[in-house]
Amino acid sequence: MAPLKSLEQDYPILDSNFQSFCASHDIFSVEDLLLHDLYVLAAFAEQESSSERLKQGITQVLSIIDGKHQPWLNGMELLEDAQRNKHVLSSGCEGIDLLLHGGLRVGQLTELVGPSSSGKTQVCLLAASNVAKKHIGSVVYLDTGNSFSPQRVTHFICQHSDPAIDQAKHRTLQKVMNNISCKSVFDIFTMFDVLHQLEFNLRSQMQGGDCKMQLLIVDSVSSMVTPILGGSGSQGHALMISAGYLLKKLAHEHNIAVLVTNHTVGGDGGISKPALGESWKSIPHVRLLLSREHGGSICNVSILKHPSMAVGKAARFMIHN
Amino acid sequence: MEAKGWITGDESAKEMLGRVLSRARPFLLLPPLHRVPLRPRNVLEIVGPSPSAKTHLLIQAALTCVLPIDWNGVHYGGFDGFVIFIDLDCRFDIFRFSHLLKLRLASGSISEIDREQNNNTKERSSIAYDEELYTLCMRRFLYVRCYDSFEFLATLKTLHYRIQKEKAYGTCVHMLLIDRKSHSIQAVLETVVQEIRKLLLLHPMLAIATKATLFGNRAMNEAKWNLRKPDTSNSQSGGITALQLPYREYMPSVWQTFVTHRILLRPSDDHLAVSDDQNHSVYFSEWLMPSLSFLDKFIVKETGVFFVA
Repeated sequence: MAPLKSLEQDYPILDSNFQSFCASHDIFSVEDLLLHDLYVLAAFAEQESSSERLKQGITQVLSIIDGKHQPWLNGMELLEDAQRNKHVLSSGCEGIDLLLHGGLRVGQLTELVGPSSSGKTQVCLLAASNVAKKHIGSVVYLDTGNSFSPQRVTHFICQHSDPAIDQAKHRTLQKVMNNISCKSVFDIFTMFDVLHQLEFNLRSQMQGGDCKMQLLIVDSVSSMVTPILGGSGSQGHALMISAGYLLKKLAHEHNIAVLVTNHTVGGDGGISKPALGESWKSIPHVRLLLSREHGGSICNVSILKHPSMAVGKAARFMIHN
Repeated sequence: MEAKGWITGDESAKEMLGRVLSRARPFLLLPPLHRVPLRPRNVLEIVGPSPSAKTHLLIQAALTCVLPIDWNGVHYGGFDGFVIFIDLDCRFDIFRFSHLLKLRLASGSISEIDREQNNNTKERSSIAYDEELYTLCMRRFLYVRCYDSFEFLATLKTLHYRIQKEKAYGTCVHMLLIDRKSHSIQAVLETVVQEIRKLLLLHPMLAIATKATLFGNRAMNEAKWNLRKPDTSNSQSGGITALQLPYREYMPSVWQTFVTHRILLRPSDDHLAVSDDQNHSVYFSEWLMPSLSFLDKFIVKETGVFFVA
């Protein structure tokens, strides 16, 4: 939304003459140029006195536009990037790892759907503790319902370690806990702020260091989106879609695995279905349905959607108390 | 002097016919798109709810486009060009594309490999394929992601120059694939249609776009209940055809007039048990434009799409 004037400093060919020519065609910013037909504009420029300079300006603007989209990649480059960067993070949960052939994939948005107390938050905490401990990467946990429990995370971390010297264990525990940062967000606008800040930090971060962010958890995305959905306007719907796209962008461009949770609502025939509707359906890469037997500690997880696996594959796992 | 330039033509009629006929061959695409011949400058829209194998169809079309007609004595029957894939859905899985390409290459050269051996080896690592051809085909697949409408517009505006760059190497583009699903481009739709029209004029290619339809208004649900009640003994799967189901379409007329062909894909409630551990769901496909009055049923397997009688 920056006006053309601000580009004059970097590109002196876009001088005031060019700007007034554009203004005469109702073009004040680069976005206006995107909506305008540039060949028609060039034809108009022909009739002006300084047509050569104006056409050079248009060519310059086209090269600026070329930088406004993601780069073109061919199949081999895509494959190399996927093999190098998009590895799999173990979720700490054997059933889920088995089902997903390894765990949560970096660059993909995984959604956990389930009715309340089906184990979604437990799986999120387990994944956070596992990634922080084993993959030596940092985790960002966006908590919408005050469900983040440091005690539980400590329990998961200390579960599989040897009963070694208390001092060393305490130090490791501190280091691992430092890798998990938890933020409370209660509405979608705060979440957008947090995600944009995160994106800015990731883009300006220097490469290297062992605290590269690996996992982003949003528990739960439905409790933030549901209050704004519905009603006569479609703004809530648009906000939900753009939140989904922002999460996918963070996942792919910065090589992070994103895990979100969603609850279920009643569908037709009494069968429950995931909340957030049809348009959200096509946003996550992987959708898993969790269910727990009442009072038991065994959870069932099945695939609702996966880019390369059949729907309906299921597995079971146990959450230790 | 200038007036004479108007009279002396650019090319003779013979040259023009030669140019037009060499390019205007009908495309014979894989099922279920094969019922209607598609030519360059056609715009096909694949609509359907999620999930209904739309992206899979796009991948199959892309594979047909990048494969050569013949290579090392093996006939692949491709279009020997490159393909532009604009991913507005941002969920493309390159591993799946690579795997399907390897399977196509392996099955294309089936005469050279022991058929028995091929049937037994089901793991990905032991599929025999031509490395050089694989790399060539992967390089012909051009991919870009667009996270919002402005990035999409920026891509379209600079696409012409990108295609020119590839043309300088000798190959030409044959397909433009846009995986749109539920990405909303309402606000910039007119400009998008204008840009794609200009591109199709300059570079004759086939454009295929996918779109997710939203089912589930109350009237449709009631129609479903009413149809189910009296006819429980009906052996026809689902019992509801698309001809009876209304589906919501939100695209304004500028898009509807731009699209020249439309096909609807839907999952049926059936599942086909092919072997003991593989249970494939059956999909319906129905041509809406031009309107053919029958449904095709197909299943999606790794090696492609197969029809079910």
